[in-house]
Amino acid sequence: MINSDIIRGHLESVILKLIIEKDMYGYEISNCITERTENSFKIKEATLYSIVSRLQKKDLIESYIGEKSHGGKRRYYKITLLGSAYYKAKLLEWKELKNTLETLLEDKS
Amino acid sequence: MKKIENFIKHTFKDIPKEGKSEIIKTVTESLIEKVEDLMEKGLSEQESIDKAVIEFGTIEDFFDNTAKEEKKKKRIKTLNHYRNDLLFSVVGSIIIVSIILFINLNYAPTTLWFVIPSVAIIFWPLSILYNLLNKRESRKGEKDE
Repeated sequence: MINSDIIRGHLESVILKLIIEKDMYGYEISNCITERTENSFKIKEATLYSIVSRLQKKDLIESYIGEKSHGGKRRYYKITLLGSAYYKAKLLEWKELKNTLETLLEDKS
Repeated sequence: MKKIENFIKHTFKDIPKEGKSEIIKTVTESLIEKVEDLMEKGLSEQESIDKAVIEFGTIEDFFDNTAKEEKKKKRIKTLNHYRNDLLFSVVGSIIIVSIILFINLNYAPTTLWFVIPSVAIIFWPLSILYNLLNKRESRKGEKDE
């Protein structure tokens, strides 16, 4: 299990990335994260919704009520133009961080 | 679904009024969506609700960033207050001691009794200084964590 303190700063980008791929509703996002990481990281609903509402406040994503394939209504989240620009910037930031940590932490072979 | 509503209401009962009802509304909605999804997968209603509640996490997870910053702000405020208190007590005790000294020298210059009440009064700024130092120490401790 990954320490959630370390990953926390990057969860915004993770959620943006998932929403860019396709519009999703809340539980779908948390499910997707669990599936993709093969259970090594689970996002808590409380964390997820606080990030989602923060993103929404910053106009990076917007929500709409959509129909699910069979029955129930869901509140879907959709990326905005601002959101995809923000994600691109965040992605560059992450790549830089990754390279820096790699050179600092790993043995050069 | 009433259970989910109550759970969220209970979890968020102490948050600031501003935006409270909106947070409760959206979070309840999302959790109910989750329960519905779990039930579709074949879990019973009770199981789904339990799972959703357990996996929700705590209020600290929700307010992780904002709450910490606000707490910090509050603490800095109290530290400043303590500093003001200290200044006030020092000035206050100097005034009182000088009045006592004046009375002493004016009416009974042979016995220096003013020392005795002065010792008592000096404990006023001392106790406030003690509080201030304590506060500072605890703040340092939290920073180290």
